[in-house]
Amino acid sequence: MLRIENFSKTYKGNKKAVDNLNLRLDKGDIFGFIGHNGAGKTTTIRAMAGVMDFEEGDIFIDDISIKSDPVKCKKNIAYIPDNPDLYDHLTGIGYLNFIGDVFEVSKADREEAIGKYADALEITANLGDSISTYSHGMKQKTAIISALIHKPKLLILDEPFVGLDPKASLTLRNIMKDICNNGSSIFFSTHVLLVAEKLCNKVGIIKDGRLIAFGPTEEVTGDLSLEDVFMEQN
Amino acid sequence: MRKVIRLVSIQLWAVLASMFAMGENKKRKTRALYVGFVLFLVLMSGVSFIYAYSMGIVLRMFDSIEIMPSLFMAMTSVLVLFTTLFKVKGTLFAFKDYDMVMSLPVSNSQVVASRLILLYSINFVFVLVVMVPVMIAYGILAGPGLNFYIYGIILVLFIPLIPIIIASVLGTGLAYISSGFRFKNLAYILFSFILLIGFMIVPVFLGDSTEAMVELGQEINKKVQEIYPLAGIYSKAIIGGEFVSAIIFMAISLLSFWLFSLLVGRVFVRINSSLMSGVAKGNYKLGELKTSSPLKALYLIDLKRYFVTPIYVMNTAFGVVIAFLAGLSLPFINLDNLSGQVDLTLLRDFLPMFIGFCMATSSTTMAGISIEGKNLWIKKSLPVSIDLIFAAKILVNLTVLAPILIASVVLGITMGLPFINVLVLLLMVVVFSLYISLYGLVINLIFPNLTWTNETVIIKQSTASLISVFSGMGMVGVLALLWGLTKDSLVAIILFIILLCVLILVLYKWLSYKGKKRFLSL
Repeated sequence: MLRIENFSKTYKGNKKAVDNLNLRLDKGDIFGFIGHNGAGKTTTIRAMAGVMDFEEGDIFIDDISIKSDPVKCKKNIAYIPDNPDLYDHLTGIGYLNFIGDVFEVSKADREEAIGKYADALEITANLGDSISTYSHGMKQKTAIISALIHKPKLLILDEPFVGLDPKASLTLRNIMKDICNNGSSIFFSTHVLLVAEKLCNKVGIIKDGRLIAFGPTEEVTGDLSLEDVFMEQN
Repeated sequence: MRKVIRLVSIQLWAVLASMFAMGENKKRKTRALYVGFVLFLVLMSGVSFIYAYSMGIVLRMFDSIEIMPSLFMAMTSVLVLFTTLFKVKGTLFAFKDYDMVMSLPVSNSQVVASRLILLYSINFVFVLVVMVPVMIAYGILAGPGLNFYIYGIILVLFIPLIPIIIASVLGTGLAYISSGFRFKNLAYILFSFILLIGFMIVPVFLGDSTEAMVELGQEINKKVQEIYPLAGIYSKAIIGGEFVSAIIFMAISLLSFWLFSLLVGRVFVRINSSLMSGVAKGNYKLGELKTSSPLKALYLIDLKRYFVTPIYVMNTAFGVVIAFLAGLSLPFINLDNLSGQVDLTLLRDFLPMFIGFCMATSSTTMAGISIEGKNLWIKKSLPVSIDLIFAAKILVNLTVLAPILIASVVLGITMGLPFINVLVLLLMVVVFSLYISLYGLVINLIFPNLTWTNETVIIKQSTASLISVFSGMGMVGVLALLWGLTKDSLVAIILFIILLCVLILVLYKWLSYKGKKRFLSL
């Protein structure tokens, strides 16, 4: 589902944010991407989502290169950044409908998806209000629904649990498991190691732009907890 | 006071940084922009001097030279008022970093004072650019004593204060009244246009154009001093050398500013809460959704973004509104009555330039990328080509410019232009619209600013907006030059259209290659 091959990104000023990253995810994988602040997580995620250009290496989603065919690639993915700034001038439903239009989701499918996930995340009643009145958590919920409308093959989430209340957090974990059971994959970054350990079948640790650990969760952790492994590596 | 100065310096630097936002470009280019900005100020001062000097010569001919400083002071004050009026919401009230600033250990009055001083600093540069050349021109023409220069230099510091206060009161009132309407942004835009056009129309009814120049000048001066008594006090101080008047002028300005800061400080939080809080009903029930094509969806999103930003509309649709109003009113004016006073042939020849001038200030694309700000990730993550994103932005600009088409036809027919001239004029409007849209987009991609906290910065004060407006006017200058060279309006327009077509091709090529790369690198 996802192949990252020799991906490197150097910012102006010659700071290498990511250095020769190689990684592969299969259908149904839930992958937790762990690392310190500034380790290279967001850079990798932004490159995968096609919102940032890069020169070295390539990223394939369902065997399509994000570099050479970004539009086709983006049809198969959904991306939520760490701070989802949505269009304040729209209502929640206006935003979701806009995403449905651009992803060319049929009327019936988008109505069904919005209804299902908005009810699950308990935000249906607020969808008619302007996004400018939303709290961070409500924006996050709206962004999550928008990411699920078109049934993406790969969900790319940067810190998806930040700002969510405990119930919404649990709902999101259930949604994540559910869509992976249906053949989609999830790549998400998190600082909540307990969640990553419980939820992910694969984890990766990035340090100073280099992937220092990657594999099935139980292989990476061994007899230790993910937190212990992370603290040892860092 | 130290805290106020600190707040002002942070905000001022933020404005300057935004003005010279260079994206990923190098320091060298930033320096070039600073130099360019200084040269621009020098150039504007030069233009101001020529204007003041020529007007001074005419006034001297009619023994009315003494009204020159106060007349220019009043004109500058009106301009400060205009430019500040639409900056109030976003600078003094409802600014984006409100939460951050208000969480600092400073009093409300100190925050208000810092915001007012910020408005003052921006306006002061403008006042200097106008008033210093006026003083030099007056100095050459009237040869006043040393007192004139001393008072002139001191009083110039106080000129922007009262207009800023008046603009703040009007701007806040405007925002307050509009917030009561369902479509508050559209109401704000409508009231702003009414106010602005009102300001423009009132002076027309104040004077009689058949009066002699000297009477007209003194009449205007009398009217100005009636409407704005500070101009009279200023005149007494600077021309009459009255020390007491100078003190009164400074005292009124400073005291008003200080009192206004204190007064607004008391209601600052209440006004901001009222202006910034939205209405959340929380009673939505999912119903049937309307679907659109990706292009239409992108276009509608951008169009909505445009209309919810009053300062964006006020700055880019003003020319369109003027042209449209001209088109609406001209059929009711009997041109035959005017023919004795005005050369109608000259008016007809001048029409394309008037239309072009109205269009030159109407580029919405010059801020089309920057306005995305922190939302840019959404467009970049969508499964659409960059061409489609650009196309939506261009379509918004063309929509805004569309009323000019109707205005051109009405104006052309009413002024008795031959059919072929009306057709060519229409073609010019279409091609120029496309050029303005593409050019704005290119300029914004070269000078983007995605880190703004106040839309005013990208719409009024950014490098992209300055370049876009002035080069747009430059293109009208090219049309005028072609007219001057060919002495034939029709030929000039045709040559202008050909030139625009070539430029459109160049811009299109740039957008197709470099433009896309730049967009991706943002």
